[in-house]
Amino acid sequence: MTHSRKLFSAVSLIVFVAALAALPTDSAWPQEPTNKQLLERIETLESELRNLRDLLLTNMKTAEQAREKAAVAEVKAIEATKAAHELEKQTAYPSIPDTIWHLAGYASAGAEFRTKANEWDFGGVQFNPGFHFQYKDLIIFEAELEMEIEADGETEFELEYSQFDILLHDYATLVVGKYLSPIGQFKERLHPSWINKFSNAPAGFGHDGAQPDSEVGVQLRGGIPIGERSTLTYVLALGNGPRMGHEGNAEFEGFGGDDNKNKAFGGRIAFLPMPYLEIGGSFWKGKLDGIEGPGELLPTSAYAKVWGVDGAFTRNAFDVRFEYLKNTRGPINSFDEDHGEVEMLEKLSLEAWYAQIAYRLPQFGNASFTEKLEPVFRYGEFRVKGSHHLEEQAHKRYNIGLNYWLAPSAVARVGLEIRRFFEEEIQNETLVQLQVAYGF
Amino acid sequence: MKTPMIFTAIALAGLVGLIPLAAYSAHDDVPDPAQIARGAKAWAQQCGRCHNIRSPSELTDEEWLVSTTHMRVRGNIPGNVIRDIQAFLRSSNKKE
Repeated sequence: MTHSRKLFSAVSLIVFVAALAALPTDSAWPQEPTNKQLLERIETLESELRNLRDLLLTNMKTAEQAREKAAVAEVKAIEATKAAHELEKQTAYPSIPDTIWHLAGYASAGAEFRTKANEWDFGGVQFNPGFHFQYKDLIIFEAELEMEIEADGETEFELEYSQFDILLHDYATLVVGKYLSPIGQFKERLHPSWINKFSNAPAGFGHDGAQPDSEVGVQLRGGIPIGERSTLTYVLALGNGPRMGHEGNAEFEGFGGDDNKNKAFGGRIAFLPMPYLEIGGSFWKGKLDGIEGPGELLPTSAYAKVWGVDGAFTRNAFDVRFEYLKNTRGPINSFDEDHGEVEMLEKLSLEAWYAQIAYRLPQFGNASFTEKLEPVFRYGEFRVKGSHHLEEQAHKRYNIGLNYWLAPSAVARVGLEIRRFFEEEIQNETLVQLQVAYGF
Repeated sequence: MKTPMIFTAIALAGLVGLIPLAAYSAHDDVPDPAQIARGAKAWAQQCGRCHNIRSPSELTDEEWLVSTTHMRVRGNIPGNVIRDIQAFLRSSNKKE
């Protein structure tokens, strides 16, 4: 053995002996628990476990109750939301009954100065109440009365129209009753005083003119969309037809009976390539009987025909229109008041047309009232061939006027009308017209 | 007799051949925004064909419904366009 090995062995022996000396004695080791102690511990643990289980069950029950309450609250919240929505709907959009009605119409009054007579009168007092009654989107009944004060103080009272409109579907309506003539535009759509740009009708478009007034019968009418922007409109009408007037002309004034077995038939078709441009064509044909009276001749029958074209451009501030109508009645034997007996009347031809432009002025600077101003101009002609009485009324007419729009459907207007008669012996005439009109 | 027969044939085509008596009663529906937008455009276009455009506040919802149905017939305006206009008017007069 080397010296270092002996030294290492000695040190190791010393460390081993010291470590043995540091070990605890028997009394220093933990004592084993007794059975009693173990049972106590188990009982304690079981008790704690029971408590935990009870606590867990209680918590689970509480959670279930909370869930149930939450579900009930959710249902109540949904119901409350629905009720609030319904209340809002009812408040914002009131419920509409099945039967609804509306009192509409228009009225006007004015004054006119005539150069021929060198006098002026208040007049043109007119009241046209209109009644509209509707049941769902199924049927609407509409009627308009016309009440007008005549120069002699009498009040003229007339049923302008009275019709049932049965809404067959989106593109067809069946009309039954007395209706305004669908021939041309003016009578059916433009004649109300608040819509008309002047205080009277164009030459030849009023009483005893070329345009039929009304008819009693049926119509099938509607509008059919063609593409996104275009529409085709149509009116097909059947009615009792015209009767002989005292001036030898065919009167189209909504007679409640027919004087012969032939019904009048016609209508109007229009195309709107764009919503603001309309071009239409009309046709109407009916048979009429001559008026009986003394004399050697017996009354005969003849056909009355009306055809025409019309157009309208209504965009932005412009309102431009034209309308042409030709009304003819064939040769007929009928009572002639001038001769006091039945006479052979030659063919009668009435021709009327007009062109009209209206422009709504813009605002100039701060002068906002200029927006309410609308200068208007109209030129028209009424030509007659075949009736001396009516030929006296044939003339060309210039109208220039200014409308002041108090409201969209209320207007005060002033106009100048110049009438140039085709008969040389008839003196020309100039009129100054004032009118207030209101549509409601 | 010829014209009544022609008219009768046409009327029958309208009554039978096309959709008969589509009685819409959707007046209580709340109008949707697309319909309101279409109606606003149609309102300006269709009314201006004959007269000035009136304010929606001039009449109540009920009165407008009757008035626009009257204009549907007078102006030969398709029914779906009129319903759009009615939706626009109801929306315009909606109480906030």
